[in-house]
Amino acid sequence: MAKDMKVARGEAVGVVAAQSIGEPGTQMVLRSFHSAGIASVITTTGLPRIIEIVDARKKPKFPMMEIRLDKSTSKSYEKAKEVWKRIEEVKVSGVIDGFEENLKSGTMALHLSKEKTAQHGITGRTIASRLSKLEGVSADQDGDEIRVKVKDKDTKSIRTRFVKVLNSVIAGVPGIQKVVMQTNDNNEFYLTTSGSNIEGVLSVDGIEKDEVYSNDIFEVLRVYGIEAARNLIANELQKTINEEGITVGFRHLGLVADAMTHTGVIKSVGRHGIAGEKESVFARAAYEETVKHFTNASVFGETDMLKGVAENILIGKQIGVGTGRVHLAIKKEELKKIKRKD
Amino acid sequence: MQAESIDGVKFTTLSPELIKHMSVAKLIVSDTYNEDGYPIDGGVVDQRLGVIDPGLKCKTCGGRAKSCPGHFGHIELVRPVIHPEFAKTIYLLLQSTCEKCHRILMSESQIAEIRPAIEEFVKEEVGEGTEVEAPIMKEPEKKAGPIMKRLKSVKKCPHCDAPQRKIKLERPTFFYMEGNRIRPDEIRDWLSKISNDDLSLMGIDPIATRPEWLVITALLVPPVNMRPSITLESGERSEDDLTHKLVDIMRINQRLSQDIDAGAPQIIIDDLWELLQYQVTTYFNNETPGIPVARHRSTRPLKTLAQRLKGKEGRLRYNLSGKRVNFSARTVICSDARLTINQVGVPRRIAENLTVPIYTTQWNIELARDYLKRTEYPMVLNIISKDGIRKRVTEVNREELIKSLVPGFVLERQLIDGDLALFNRQPTLHRLSVMAHVVKVLPGKTLRLNTSAAVPYNADFDGDEMNLHVPQSIEAQAEARHLMQPKDLILSPRDGRPVMFTEEDQIAGLYMLTRDGAYFTKEEASIMLSSVMVYDMPKREKNGLYSGKAIFSMILPKGLSYTATSNLGEKTVIKDGELAAGTVSENIIGIGGPLIAEIFEKYGPDASAKFLHDVSNIAVRSAYMSGLTISIRDYYETEQIRKEKERIINEADEKAAALMESYKQGKLEALPGYTRRETLELELRVQLDIAREIAAKFLMKTLTPENNAYLMAMIKAKGNIVFFVMISMLLGQQSVRGRRPSRGYNGRILTYFKRNDRRPEARGFIRSCFIEGLSPPELYMHAMGARDSAMTKSLITAVSGYMQRRLINALQDLYVADDGSVKDASGALIETIYGGDGIDPTMQMVAGKK
Repeated sequence: MAKDMKVARGEAVGVVAAQSIGEPGTQMVLRSFHSAGIASVITTTGLPRIIEIVDARKKPKFPMMEIRLDKSTSKSYEKAKEVWKRIEEVKVSGVIDGFEENLKSGTMALHLSKEKTAQHGITGRTIASRLSKLEGVSADQDGDEIRVKVKDKDTKSIRTRFVKVLNSVIAGVPGIQKVVMQTNDNNEFYLTTSGSNIEGVLSVDGIEKDEVYSNDIFEVLRVYGIEAARNLIANELQKTINEEGITVGFRHLGLVADAMTHTGVIKSVGRHGIAGEKESVFARAAYEETVKHFTNASVFGETDMLKGVAENILIGKQIGVGTGRVHLAIKKEELKKIKRKD
Repeated sequence: MQAESIDGVKFTTLSPELIKHMSVAKLIVSDTYNEDGYPIDGGVVDQRLGVIDPGLKCKTCGGRAKSCPGHFGHIELVRPVIHPEFAKTIYLLLQSTCEKCHRILMSESQIAEIRPAIEEFVKEEVGEGTEVEAPIMKEPEKKAGPIMKRLKSVKKCPHCDAPQRKIKLERPTFFYMEGNRIRPDEIRDWLSKISNDDLSLMGIDPIATRPEWLVITALLVPPVNMRPSITLESGERSEDDLTHKLVDIMRINQRLSQDIDAGAPQIIIDDLWELLQYQVTTYFNNETPGIPVARHRSTRPLKTLAQRLKGKEGRLRYNLSGKRVNFSARTVICSDARLTINQVGVPRRIAENLTVPIYTTQWNIELARDYLKRTEYPMVLNIISKDGIRKRVTEVNREELIKSLVPGFVLERQLIDGDLALFNRQPTLHRLSVMAHVVKVLPGKTLRLNTSAAVPYNADFDGDEMNLHVPQSIEAQAEARHLMQPKDLILSPRDGRPVMFTEEDQIAGLYMLTRDGAYFTKEEASIMLSSVMVYDMPKREKNGLYSGKAIFSMILPKGLSYTATSNLGEKTVIKDGELAAGTVSENIIGIGGPLIAEIFEKYGPDASAKFLHDVSNIAVRSAYMSGLTISIRDYYETEQIRKEKERIINEADEKAAALMESYKQGKLEALPGYTRRETLELELRVQLDIAREIAAKFLMKTLTPENNAYLMAMIKAKGNIVFFVMISMLLGQQSVRGRRPSRGYNGRILTYFKRNDRRPEARGFIRSCFIEGLSPPELYMHAMGARDSAMTKSLITAVSGYMQRRLINALQDLYVADDGSVKDASGALIETIYGGDGIDPTMQMVAGKK
């Protein structure tokens, strides 16, 4: 009642947003990861995660996905487990009991584990055919054994090729290292994964394709576009902050996300992003890498038009936000009409 | 001629011609002062460059030390040297132009392909019809970079077919072409032959910078005002680092000149030339990578040009982005419940020294004259006449000044009650760290504020100091009055919740006042009520006493209705301005206080400020009245507690033993993604961590509010149940970097334990409590945990401080435009409507409710 609820024109909302996120920063934990309970996926939390988002790192330290199951699978444990099997990546090393390698001839014998192959529903033949598709590798099935031969000649590259064979994914979605099944309040099963591969997961049956969630911002940008990335940035920020028991209005987080993404690409906050690409030479110089900005500005003949806040503070002019935006306009003729009271 | 306002600043490089044009003196002598201590003509402190000695006159403008702004001089270098900061630019230019014909390494067809794009770009950026001297590019580095990078690998000039040899830059300033050094004069020659047209193709503005200017032939010497010498007590003169450096350059330049004239061998000349290059390089930047740092005699590295500008202590951040101010005060703060949240208590001594200007007009000249006549406390200290001369008002000249006072004079009077002053505490993390309080001049020597108003500053009273600033212009005062008063800022822009609320003693006092069965005599009730200036009495109860709830109701705004569940679980009902049931507890009026938000929304800032003030007074009175004392006895282990403690420890031990046993037998299965050993650690930690929680739950069941220490924790006045556990039951599991302590000696933390002992006590599980005292190994474990948390805390302030600086730097230009959208300094649209709804962030909760 006492105050207009509309935001005032000229309000420096950027600074308010920055302060709203920065001020409670000291209350956050520096522990970079935590595992809520034992059986769950590791994610980055607290201040390190916020910095990771705001810095626009290309890949999160701990990528994570949350996958809803569709109606046919979400209620049944067995069916959910099947989806799980389809998603979790299986490496060659995960289905064998052991192997013998011959570094001289470049051959390797993989001993398949009956138990493990059955568990993942994979046959020796599929493994062999998958491996044959790898570059410079040929593989044949021989009962419980798979004989692998590689083209390389020298021992070192043979060895690296062997490692590649053992680490090659033969089933599931590549990049999804671990899947944990969880239930929500409606007793529906859903999956959380460590490792993220949206495109891969989308091709798996039995999941709710409209509700695939990943915390990898650049992957979301690639698959779903900039608007989705913007929402993810804001939502991840909010999630991380709320986990610390702090509340920050979504408008501030949304503004940070918008400032990072309004050009259509994700720009980081800081030297290599928004702050480093400002028009004003002074603003950039006052922030970081002072000398570099001045010398470059002179070579390229840049002109600072003194529109932003930092540069106007620097030269001692009124800043262009808040009450500094407002000017008084008077018609000179009207002014003459006012008689001085003597 | 002085510019009225600066519209923009264009950056260019200085040509040798311009340098000579700017210069008032060509400097030729490497000595500074003669035997008499006067500057030598032609030296680097030549009097034509300005003077700093109060006695001397500038030979250029005739001004004295204060009035002469200083003038530039120059040194003509006998051999050109590379400007170290532009070495990279030169390198790029050499790579992208032909070594023979000096054209850009791009065929005419390639140029034709690129040109329209660049011209288009220029049009777009600058706008057609605007007068531009040369094509200007936005972010030229980015646009030109890729073009230049491609040109690096061109092997044959498309214009003259000359083969292109590889050029190498050896940091910082040496260029080689297939192993042969290219001398700076050759580079200068090469660069001067690149055409303007080709330069603009590379994004370089040839009007601002002709590339040959990047090789220095004439060095600009800054005026002495920029590098003043200081006279030590001993009468010895100590020159500025820059002067030292200039003397070095002069000296080498002279020697080089002499040797060339004398026809010295090339090797000697090259050596000196290289030395000159070194001196010039360090003159510009003494932290240039790849060369030794130039040092002072005392081995202190010299602070040269780049160092003056750079970093937190550099010119930009230390002197330009932040400036020192007058009209400010700083001292220790302390609390004063009798002040409203909107006031600040200012010590008399500070009030006498801070001034507020009275701008005299025909309408207030009488008032001004009355002030000027005064000879004690609220009096005029200074008077500023129409022509801007400030004079101190003294006994001697007062009468005279009163006579000469006319409208247009400015009087500086002492600070009085009712003035507004900006109050600030560092670190200034958010905008609520600076608020405008109404001054109340008080005896004493500290600045005082209401405890509720201390919350947004994050201030406490254990020695904190705060700053006070008096706004000087009418506009500044008006802005402070309308935008910055604490009463208007009760709701936080962060989440819309109150940032001013009651804490600690006041929570306790309110509990004592409003709990069920709290009755007070007439005398007690009137003491409490008179403290908040309420002189009516509430209705008397049947037993002839006054209930606390009724007393509290007296300070509630009329007609307020509000219901909530208190901390203690009962329903608190405020109906029509009366506290009908329940206690006013911490979750209602403490942190995030919904009751305060409710009052702010319904009754506005003034009522909220009054309410907070009344609450703090009545609560403190009530706390006096009832008293709340804790004693060590509250924490004594009773038989019951001792037994439970034993049980908890045994349980933890058993569980741990069982886990370790199953690990040993290989039964413990690894969790996905972990090894078996990690799994064991994880499970152990979980089991041991909950020991404290179990103990807390037990205490909550057994203790009663008769125990004051427990009561305090329960009503959240101070402390919590975990502290209680640690004092009287057990300290529990310590942690270092989020795990059980594990480092120290090989396989053990202390030699007291056996190697690879994984039992709880060997890994930081403390069974003692503070009452019992810790055993020596436990003490070590506890100290490890304490150190870990101290380290973390100091690290997190640094990390989060830097993050905030980056955020603010990135977002500071955003503002709400006239159409409600959010734009940045360049006018780019960030959001179409701020926050999606255009709501003021301090009102987001209020708006959300409706």
